Parts: sequence; C-alpha cells; structure tokens
Amino acid sequence: MLDIIFAELIVAAIITFFVREKLAAIIAFFMSLLPLLALLDWASNYGFAIINLGIESHMKIYLAGVTLHLAITPLSWFFALMILPLFPVIMLFSYSFFKENDGFFALMLLSLLATFGILLSRDMLSLFLFWEMMSWSSFLLVYRSKDRNAIMSYLIFSVFAAFAILFGIIILWHENSSLLLSDILNISGKPGFIAIASLITGFAVKAVIMPLHAWAPFVYSKCDESFVAFLAGGLSKLGYYGMFLFLFSLKGVDILQSYMTNVSWNYLLAVFGALSAFFATLIAILQDDLRKLLAYSSIGQLGYIAIGFGIGTPLAITGALFQAFNHAFFKAILFLTAGIVAYRTGKWKISELGGLAYKMPFTFMAALFAIFALAAIPITSGFAAKWLIYEAAIQQKYVFIAPIMLIAGVGAFLYSFRILYGVFLGENRHDNVEEAPKSMIAALFILVMPLMIFVVFPGYMLDLMKPALQAAGMESIAHTKFAIETSLAKYNSIAVLITLMVAMIPAFIIYKARKHRVTSFEDNYLAGEPYELHKPSMHAANNFYKPLKKVVLPYLEPGATHYFEKIYNGIKCASNAVRRVYTGYVQDYAIYVVLFLLFIVGWLIWI
Amino acid sequence: MGLHNGDKMMRYEEWSKLARKASKKSLWMVHFCTGCGAVEMPPVMTSRYDAERFGITSMATPRQADVLLITGYLTVKTLRRVIQVYEQMQSPKYVIAFGSCTINGGMYWDSYNTIKHLEKYIPVDLYIAGCMPRPEGIINAFIKLMKLIDEGKARGWEKYQKYYDRYKENQRRVFNFEIKEEQKEEKNEEH
Amino acid sequence: MDMIGMAIKIAILIAYAIIGTCVGLLFMGIGRKIIARVHNRVGPPFYQNFIDVAKLLSKKTNISHGWIFDLALLFSISGILLTLLFLPIGGAQLLSMDGDAFLVLYLLAIPALGFALGAGASGNPNAGVGVMRALVMMLSYELPFVITLIALMIYYDTTSLATIVKMQSIDGIKSWAITMPPFMIAAFAADMALQGMLMEQPFDIPVAPHEIASGPMVEFGGKYLGSLMLYKAIALVAETTLFVDLFLGGGVVMHSGVMAAIINFFVWLGLIFLLFVLSILIAASFPRFRIEQAFGFYWKYEAIIAAISLIWVYIMVIK
Repeated sequence: MLDIIFAELIVAAIITFFVREKLAAIIAFFMSLLPLLALLDWASNYGFAIINLGIESHMKIYLAGVTLHLAITPLSWFFALMILPLFPVIMLFSYSFFKENDGFFALMLLSLLATFGILLSRDMLSLFLFWEMMSWSSFLLVYRSKDRNAIMSYLIFSVFAAFAILFGIIILWHENSSLLLSDILNISGKPGFIAIASLITGFAVKAVIMPLHAWAPFVYSKCDESFVAFLAGGLSKLGYYGMFLFLFSLKGVDILQSYMTNVSWNYLLAVFGALSAFFATLIAILQDDLRKLLAYSSIGQLGYIAIGFGIGTPLAITGALFQAFNHAFFKAILFLTAGIVAYRTGKWKISELGGLAYKMPFTFMAALFAIFALAAIPITSGFAAKWLIYEAAIQQKYVFIAPIMLIAGVGAFLYSFRILYGVFLGENRHDNVEEAPKSMIAALFILVMPLMIFVVFPGYMLDLMKPALQAAGMESIAHTKFAIETSLAKYNSIAVLITLMVAMIPAFIIYKARKHRVTSFEDNYLAGEPYELHKPSMHAANNFYKPLKKVVLPYLEPGATHYFEKIYNGIKCASNAVRRVYTGYVQDYAIYVVLFLLFIVGWLIWI
Repeated sequence: MGLHNGDKMMRYEEWSKLARKASKKSLWMVHFCTGCGAVEMPPVMTSRYDAERFGITSMATPRQADVLLITGYLTVKTLRRVIQVYEQMQSPKYVIAFGSCTINGGMYWDSYNTIKHLEKYIPVDLYIAGCMPRPEGIINAFIKLMKLIDEGKARGWEKYQKYYDRYKENQRRVFNFEIKEEQKEEKNEEH
Repeated sequence: MDMIGMAIKIAILIAYAIIGTCVGLLFMGIGRKIIARVHNRVGPPFYQNFIDVAKLLSKKTNISHGWIFDLALLFSISGILLTLLFLPIGGAQLLSMDGDAFLVLYLLAIPALGFALGAGASGNPNAGVGVMRALVMMLSYELPFVITLIALMIYYDTTSLATIVKMQSIDGIKSWAITMPPFMIAAFAADMALQGMLMEQPFDIPVAPHEIASGPMVEFGGKYLGSLMLYKAIALVAETTLFVDLFLGGGVVMHSGVMAAIINFFVWLGLIFLLFVLSILIAASFPRFRIEQAFGFYWKYEAIIAAISLIWVYIMVIK
C-alpha cells in the first residue's frame, strides 16, 4: 500500500506543477490527506496491538539494489498525528494565499512524501535518503524567498546536519555491519558515544537548539508564511523525532551514560535547551519584525522539548512530547496569522500594524487561542505540557534549569502581548482591511481544535503517546481522563475549567447589571485634547520594550550568530587565499602538473 | 400591570437613592487646572486640610472621575478642552466651578477671549465665589455638593442631556472657526 | 452523601470567594487609613473602598471600546477568583489538591492578561505604555520569586501548596519554613517580590497616575473600574496568601476540630494583614523606582539573595 501512496504523491507533485494555483491547491489538499488516511486505516485494521510491536519491518522497497525497510511504529504513529495534519491545513490556507503557481504545492507534496518516509523508515539508509529528500525539497522552498541570507544559511546548516547524521550512521554501520535500526542495541563504548553525539548534533540543527539555531531567524522571516508554518510546526519536530528515536527508542541514552559514568551527557542537552528557551525569549521580546519575533519564540518554545529530552525521565518525556504536539499547532496558527496579516496589509513590522482585531475578529480569536497556548495559560492545552516539564525538573532537583525555564515562561507573556497589542489592538491604522478569506479562517480553526480538546482531556493525550513510551520501555505516568498525577502534585484540568466557568457568573452579573455604551476609537482620553484636531499617532508600538532593551541588550549583543559570522568570514578569507592559486597563466598550471607528477613519483618510490 | 410598573418605579427609586448615598461619599474629581486656582489644590489634598477623609480623591482621567473641578478662568481655547473632558466623564457627573473667573470673568472680565458665564456652555452644579477661594471653601463646596446629591438636586448632567442642542449652540457660537466653517457652508448653499 | 459533601464544598468555596472579596476591600481601606496616618492626615473611613466600589458599579453611563474591552471585566474577576480558590487558605484546602504552585503562578496571569487585552483594546497610548511597564515589572519580580519557590519545592519535595502547608504545620509555628535560616533569606527576597506583585511603591510605575494617567486603566470607568478595584482587592488577598502558604505554614497552628478551623482562619487573617501592613509601610516611605532600576534591583540583588538560599537548600537536600 505504501508504494502506491508514494507513487501517487510523486504523480500529484508533477501534476500540481503544471496546473493553475487554485486547482493545484485542491489537488494538493486531497493528496495530502492520503498518508494520514492510510495511517488511520492501518490503525483501524491492525489495531494498536500490531503498531505496538514496532521494530520489524512491514514493507520493503527495492531501489537500485538496496532494500528500504519501512514500518509503522508507535513513535512514528504519534509524530505522524502531530505533523501530517499540518499539510492539508496548509494547502487549505494556501488556496487563496498565492497569486500564481510557482511550484509551491509540488514541493510541499514532496516534503510530505519525505516526512512520511522519515517517519516510516526502519533502517538508517532509508532514514538518511528521506531526510535528504526533505532537506532539498524544503531548500527549494526556501530558495523561492530569493533572500541570500536565508538561502545560504539554510543550505550551509542543512549540509552540516546531513554530514553529522551521515557520520553517525557510518560509524554505526561500521560497528554493526547492519543498517537496520533494530541492530543498534549492540553498540557501546567510545564509537557508540561519538555516533550518538553526532546524530544528536545533526538533528539539533533541524530542532533549532540554541548554538545551531542561527539559520532559523533568517529563514523563518523571509519565506512564505504557509511554508514557515510547516517549517516551524512540522520540520522542527522531525529533528526531535530523530532525537527520540536514537536516544530513547534505541536506548542511545544508555550508551551516553555508560561512556563516562560520572558525567550525565543528556543533562548537557537539557542545559542547551534551557539556555535556548531563555535567550531566545529575551531576543524575541525585543524584535519588531513579526516573523522574526515568531521565529525566536519558536526557538524558545522548542527549547522546552530539548529540556524534556535532556531530563529523560518518563515524566519529562511525556511533557516534551506534549509540548511538541502543542507547538506544532499553535506555532502553525501564529505563522498562518502572520501570513493573513501580510496578505491583507502587506506589512510585517509590528510598529506599522495595529487595530486589526475589530477588522478581522476570527483571525484575532484564533491567534488569541494560539497565544494562550504559547503562554501556557491554563485554558488551553499549552499549560499541561509545560507543567509536566516543570514537575520533572523539580523531581530531579535540577536547580539550574528550573528557574531559567520558569522565567522564560514569564518572558513568553511579554512577547505574546507584543503580538496582541502591536498587531491586533491599539490604534486602527487600516481602514480598508477585511476579514481573511474563508479558507484561511477554516484552516486556523481546524488547528485550534486540538488545543481546545486536550485542555479538557489531557489524559487522552497521554493515552495517545502511551504506546510510544511503552515501546521505549517507559511507564506512562498516572492519569485519568481529566487529571494528571505525579509524585509531586496533581493537575486537574476540569476543576480549573469548571471553576473558571462558575467564577464567570459574578463577572457576568456585574457586566450585565449596568448597560454600557460602545464608543469609537477617536473618543479617547488625550489630556482633554480632541482627537480630530491634530490626529496624533496613538500607537505606542514603536520600540515597545525600550526600558528592557536598554538593560538587556548589552548582554545579548555578541550572540551565536556573531560567532557563526566570524567562522563564515574566516572561511571566506581562506577560500580567497586558495583562489590565488588560479593565476591564469599557463606556465603556472604546467608547474602544478609537474609538481603533482613529481609528488606521485616520490610517493611511489617512498612506498 | 400598572401596579407592577409602579413597583418597579419604587424599586428603582430606592436603588437610585442607595446609589446616591454611595455616590456622595466617594467623590472622585478630575481638576482642570487652568489658572492660578491650581495652587489651592495641593493643600486641599495633603495633610493640612485632607480632603480624603470625606472620600474625595483626585483621579487621573475623566473616565474615572465624578466631579469636574474647574479652577480658574477659561479662554475660548480651553473651553473646548473642558467640554471634551466633560463629555468623556461618565454620568452621574457634577461640575464645580471655582473662583470668580468662572462666574463673571473675574479680573479678565473685559478680555475678548475669556468665557464669562460658564453655565452657558456646560451645566454647573456649584460655584465657589472668591478670588481665590481658600481650601476651606473648596471643602465646604464639596460638602454642599454632597447635600445636593443626597437630596437629588445635583442634576446638571441630566440638564445637559435634556438641553443638549442649546448647549451645543452656545458652544458653537464662541468657537470662532466653526462659525466660519458654517458661514462657508451657507455661502456654498447660496451659490 | 457524596452529593451532600459536594454541596458543602461548593458552599465553602462560595463563602471563601465572598470572604476574600470583603477582606480585600477592607484591607485596601485600612491601607489608605495607614498611609494617611503616615502622612499625618486623618484619612478616609476604613470602609471607604466598599463605598467606592458600590458607586462605580452603580454608575449610569459606562463607556466601552468594543467586545475586547469587555473581556477585561469578565476575565479579571473570574480569573482572580479562580486563583484564590486554588490556594489553601488558613486550614481550608479549597481546590488546592487539584493544582499546585505552578498552576497558581499561571492562573495569576489570566486576569492580568485579560486586563492587558482590555487596556490595549481601548487604543490609548498610555494604556499600552502602562501594560508594557507592568509586564516588564512582572518579568523582574518573577525571577527572585521563582527561585525561592523552587528552593521550597526542592526542600519539601513537592510542588503542591497543600502539601507544603501540611508539612509546615506538623509542629505548629516551630516547623514554619521561615524559622529555618535559608528560608529566612528566601522570605526576604519573596517579600520584595510580593511588593512588586502588589504593585505598591516603590514598584508602582505601571500605574503612575501623574505620568501616564494611571496607565492601563486610563479608559476604565464605571463598572469597568469597579471590576478592576474588585480584582485588586482579591489579588491582594491571593498574593499575600500565597506568601503565607509558602513561608508561614498557611497560618495553620492547630489541627482538628471546629475550634482549630476558626483559630487557623484568624491566624491566617492576622498574617496576611501583617504582610499587607508591611508592604503599605514600605510603600508609604519610599519614592518610585524607574523601570530599569526596578529591573536591576530584582535581577541583580534580589536574584542573588534568592540564589544563595536556593544553593543553601540544595546542599542541605543533597546531604
């Protein structure tokens, strides 16, 4: 069945390349439902019991003499439920987003194919092949932005990641003489440590953990938002999928710990995650470009997943997977909202926007829910995820990580309000702006739904990830439909929600007891000055967090990007030096040839 | 049915009586300090006279305030701001005009751009005569205003709603440029 | 039986919501009186804030700026009541078994974010600036507070406020956290954070009335301002109670019986009153910090003090 899906996706990609944009969107929408439906079909036919079996392969594709082992595992089932729904939603959103068909849909379908392949692959070769396919199809999507910084940084970091992953795979293959993932268990000691470390480094590039994040702000802020929604929501999760696969499903974490017993190497991952959560949050607060702000917030939120993986207890991993699931949806909503704002106003700078909430109420509401989830307000599912990670940090007594993580959580309020106030509230500056097209609104509200469902039933989410945890040899933590219980405390979502509803009653009575009159924006207190006399600028969004900037910026100035630029400049200088060899004179080249021959002859004699 | 209506009216009266009781004990003012009268406000609020013991506090914006205290003379230009502030306040709202300037122009009685009779433009509940009135005078006025509120006689804001167009007409008459605009419109009509 | 138990629980919750509101308004009035006495004034009567709220809620005209502006009213009161009910108060546990300290921290953000939304929706630049200052202030005081919170959590090996209170009340006053030297330091840092949380001077720059026209609430009047006052009153009780729960054993001095419940209630009331008076006295005698100064104060000195206590506790626990 899988080969049919792959073939259909490729054919659809070719077709969508040639038809008009609306038709392409429709074809792409229905085709992108295919993998999801196939998985659901699989689940309903074979049930979760078979999926639980995991490692052995369900199907093989013979390609140029090489066997690709593909199978569905509990882990890939969970990640598929997280990533694959983004594709049809993005296609739906893109139905009216693009003015012309320039290959977006074809490349997105190829990305989908590659994502599907990565999730299913059971040997390292197919994993690497699909990983590279995903990398170059997304690179071509990045290339459409025509921004040199974005293209170069994405290319360089992707190549670096690919080499790191390939290096790890080669070591594993060399030690085991087998490419099947199920054989990795035999490896230990120094080679195992190096292999796992380099694989984690490679996946960390896509998972945008802090020192390797430098490409993300460029790429996220320059590409089409509908693509970036996939990039931030889906692609980054593939990095964490890879990490989970090698660390927990294949017991890489044991290899790491057995290498040097007194050093906890996965603690390092947690520290990097915490630092990226903290610094990315601080940088995000100071941004003015909406897409850059979202990019840094994305780095910060993904840091929590790294913390969860780094802590490595079942509690922490549950939290990390929950956070990954939430992040896929709320960050996709936020980037799509940025796309809508750009589509309607043509602006990305927060200081130039403002007052869109009353013009596009539905977009605002979807964005508000996404922001509640991002800021972990307990009326969306964002809270349960972060709560689990906090609990895990306290349980393990990680006194360095816990406060950093918590303060980054508070920092999230700051940039959340920056988005809300700068873009949606405040002075109305756009008179001719309408609500977004219906397909876009529909896309947003489809994405809001899981955030609403899993706040009422956080237990269902834990049920959903239970097989993946069990396959990795971990116990699922104690929970009921509504409540999660750890050794430290209990979180009962329904108690929070019902109490909030009941507490709304007095508020509503006060609200309804007296009539109110809705006044216009112009009728505002300006120290007695009538608004229409001078029409002053009323939007306080320019350089919003100025006092904070004054204090914090000196400490943030030499960031990681600075060092990457230094490395880049160094390589450029070295390349320039090497280029001097090509002088353009035939005599020089003749001398090179003679020298080379002499070298060969000398070498042969020496042997 | 009528009886029921009467019941409702009775209940409303009782409620509004209660509301007036609360309202008189917590008068929040926004003071519009135009002239020299502003200098009398700090002693009223601070330790010497302490207006807070009557529940009188100064507020930052007209949205939050009940009493508009106009301290001193008004020019045509400032009148516009006073009206803006007054209209932004939320009823029930009261106006206390402070000093003889607001009554008859005071020492600026013969100036071309001074407002002589404030009550022509906004309804004034209380005047405080004198040049300048002392802090005791201000507190006295507030206590008098409380009595008026209690008796239901401080109904300036209702008057403003009732005779809105007359007040507007008076205001329009002094705003020179608006008159000019009107004349322009009239000329346009003539042509 | 279960139904009756449920009904009793709901009745207790409603009673505590009403008690919280009344106590908060009463304290605000007493606070005004104390500040007046410090200024050598007579001051308003102690029940002044009840009158103020009654007046504001009975205003004839109420001006709104649209449905997002109304969210401020709806979310502020409901959010802060929700927070209050998730705290153990005196001997009563209320809903605190269903959540923990992290939940309370995030629940406290619901009314704040609601008000920020309403303030932003008014479109007044002063409101935007005020909210910005409030948020930066929040980022400042949360750091020392969070560090002390983690110190407590690690020491008692729980995050649940109910359990923290229970473990501190085993031995009466002797087992309160504040009797231990590391937590004395932590309590100092947390009290300073409380000053910022209550938005009292020297950390009241978000609402500076003469500078940015009372900041976020510049456009609030009538029932909107009334709801803000109710929110402030309940928030005062909730935040001081959080401190009492963390460091002063939740005010629990006796264990079982009706008498114990009454005594615990009054001990709790006395403790939050003492905390409130302390913060009012600090407020009455200090001028206002600028936002950068407050940020520096919290992230440099307070955070270091809190970190010392955390390290101390960590060493104690590891041993």
